[in-house]
Amino acid sequence: MRGFIRGVDAVNYRLGRVMMYGIFVLMGILLWSSISKTFFLPTLWTLEMAQFVMVGYYILGGPYSLQLGSNVRMDLLYGDWSKRRKAWFDAVTVLFLIFYLAVLIYGAVSSTAYSLGYWKDAPFSFLASVMIGTGEIGTVERSPSAWRPYMWPIKVVMIAGFLLMLLQCVSELFKDFLRLQEAET
Amino acid sequence: MPYEMIATLMFSTMMLMLLTGQRVFGAIGFVAVVAALLLWGDKGGFDIGFSAAMKLMKWYPLLTLPMFIFMGYVLSESKIADDLYKMFHVWMGGLRGGLAIGTIGLMVLISAMNGLSVAGMAIGATIALPELLKRGYDKRMVTGVIQAGSSLGILVPPSVVLVLYAMIARQPVGQLWLAGIVPGLMMAALFILYIILRCWKNPELGPALNAEERDLPIAEKLRLLRAGLLPLVIFAVMMVPFVNGWTSLVESSAIGAMTAFMAAVVKGRMTREVFENSVRNTLGITCMFMWIILAALAFGAVFDGLGAVKAIESLFTERLGLNPWVILIMMQLSFIVMGTFLDDTAMLVIVAPLYVPLVGALGFDLIWYGILYTITCQIAYMTPPFGYNLFLMRAMAPPEISIQDIYRSIGPFVLVMVGALILVMVFPQLALWLPNYVYGK
Repeated sequence: MRGFIRGVDAVNYRLGRVMMYGIFVLMGILLWSSISKTFFLPTLWTLEMAQFVMVGYYILGGPYSLQLGSNVRMDLLYGDWSKRRKAWFDAVTVLFLIFYLAVLIYGAVSSTAYSLGYWKDAPFSFLASVMIGTGEIGTVERSPSAWRPYMWPIKVVMIAGFLLMLLQCVSELFKDFLRLQEAET
Repeated sequence: MPYEMIATLMFSTMMLMLLTGQRVFGAIGFVAVVAALLLWGDKGGFDIGFSAAMKLMKWYPLLTLPMFIFMGYVLSESKIADDLYKMFHVWMGGLRGGLAIGTIGLMVLISAMNGLSVAGMAIGATIALPELLKRGYDKRMVTGVIQAGSSLGILVPPSVVLVLYAMIARQPVGQLWLAGIVPGLMMAALFILYIILRCWKNPELGPALNAEERDLPIAEKLRLLRAGLLPLVIFAVMMVPFVNGWTSLVESSAIGAMTAFMAAVVKGRMTREVFENSVRNTLGITCMFMWIILAALAFGAVFDGLGAVKAIESLFTERLGLNPWVILIMMQLSFIVMGTFLDDTAMLVIVAPLYVPLVGALGFDLIWYGILYTITCQIAYMTPPFGYNLFLMRAMAPPEISIQDIYRSIGPFVLVMVGALILVMVFPQLALWLPNYVYGK
C-alpha cells in the first residue's frame, strides 16, 4: 500500500510539475495568434491548439492539484472535525469521486473508439486490439474546422488524465486508511 | 417520478454530499452521472460526463481563466503594487479618512488588472492594513474597507466570475464586462461616500496625516504618481486591442498576463520563489475551477434534459400567480441567504443553472442579471459564516485584528452593497448603458 502511494504520487508529482509550465505554452500560442493576426495572415491552428493545451493543462495537472489540496471543500462541518473523523469521511466520500471518474473514463474510451471509426458496443476491446496492432481503424474523426486536426490524440490524453486522477484518488484513499491505522494504535 | 421530484432529489443529495466535506467537483459530478445513469441508462447516460469535457474544451473564452489567475498571482506575489499604495498614501493622506479612501482607489486599480478578489485582498491586508493601523485608523473600519474594496475585483473587468456566468447564461463576455464598469465605479464611489461621512462625524476614525509626513518635495510626489501608470498601462494594453476588435478576448488576456509578467521581471521582483508560487498556484486554482465546471456542465445537462426549469417557472408564474419582479426579488434574497453559508464557487455552479434560465424565461435581460448576480456574489464573499474574503482576511491580517473585528467590520459595507444592488435593479441603465453604447445595440 505504501509502495503504491509512493509510486502514484511520484508519477503525478512529476507530471504536474511539467504541466505547470503549460501556462507559458498557452500564453505563447495565444500571443503568436494575436501577432500573426495583426501583422501577417491569421493562423488556422492556434485556436484549437490552445484548446488542446488547456485540456492537457487541467486534466493532466489535476492529480497534482489533488496533492496540493487545491480543490475546495465545504467546511461548514468538516472544518471542525478531528483528523480521525475527517479520515473516515474522506475514505467513504472518495469512493463517490472514484465512481464519477470511472464513468468519465468509460465515456472517454467510447468516444475515443468512435474517433477511430468504431461505433459498436465494445470500445474497450477495440482500443486494446488497436494497441496490439490487430484492430481495424475505420473513418478517423477530424475536427470540423479549417485546420481539421485529428481528434483521437486529445481524447487519449484525456483518458490518461482521468486514469491518473483515479489512481491519485486511490492513493488518497490508502492514505486515509494509513491515517486511521495510526489513530488506532 | 415527476421531474420536480428528481430535481429536488438531485439538489438535496448534492447538498448532503457537500456537507460531508467531499471535494466540491466530486459531489456535483457524482450526482450528475448517477442521475444520468438512472434516467437514461445505456442510452447516453454514460456519455454525459465526458461530453461535458468536450463541450468545455470547445468553450473558447474559458482560456482566459488561467491567464487572469496567473496575472493575479504575479501581481500579488511580486508585490509590484507597493508603489501604488505609496502614491495614494502621499496624495490622499491629508484628508480625514484619506488613506481609507485611497485604499478604495487602490482596490479599483488592482481590480482593473485581475479578475478575482484574492490579489486585492493580499495587497490590502499585507501592505495597506498595517500602514493604516499605524496611522491610528479605526481597525474595524479599515478591515471593512479592504474586504469591501477587494471584492470589486469580480465586478470591474476583467472578471473571472463574469466569464463563468457568461458560460452558464450563454451571453457574450465582452458585453458583460462593459456592463460591470459603471456599477463597479458606482459602488466604489458609494464606499468612499460612506467613509467621508463616517470620518466627518467622527474624525478619530481616520485622522489626517501630519504635515511633515505629507511634505515631500513636489518632484517626489510626481515620481510616485508614475506608479499609477502601471495598472493603466496593463489595463490599456489588454483592453484597447480587444475593444477595437484587433484581438479576441482570449488573446487580450494572454497579452495582459505577459505584460504583468514582464513588468514584474523589469522591476526585478520576479524572484525564484515568486515565480514558483505564482506558477504552482495558477495550476492549482485553474484545476479547481475547471474540474468544478466540468462537473457542473454535466449536472446542467441532466437538468436541461429534465426540463425542470420550465416546471419551476410555471409553478411560480401560473400556479402562484406571482409578478416577475416579486420572483426576482425573492431569488435575490434567497441567493444572499444561501451565499452566507455556501462556498461561493459552489454557489456559482449550483445556483446559476437553476436561476439563470428562470430569469431568462421571465423576460429579464441576462446581461443586466449578470451584474446583479455578481454583486450578490460579492456580498456572499463577505458575509459570515462563510465568505472567501473572510477566510483570506483571517489568514493574512495582523494578529491584533480578531475574528470579532472582522465580522463586525463588514456590516456597514454590506449595507452599502445591498444599496448598490437595489440601485442597479431599479435603474438597469446603470449596467446596460455602456455595453449598448459600445456595441451600438
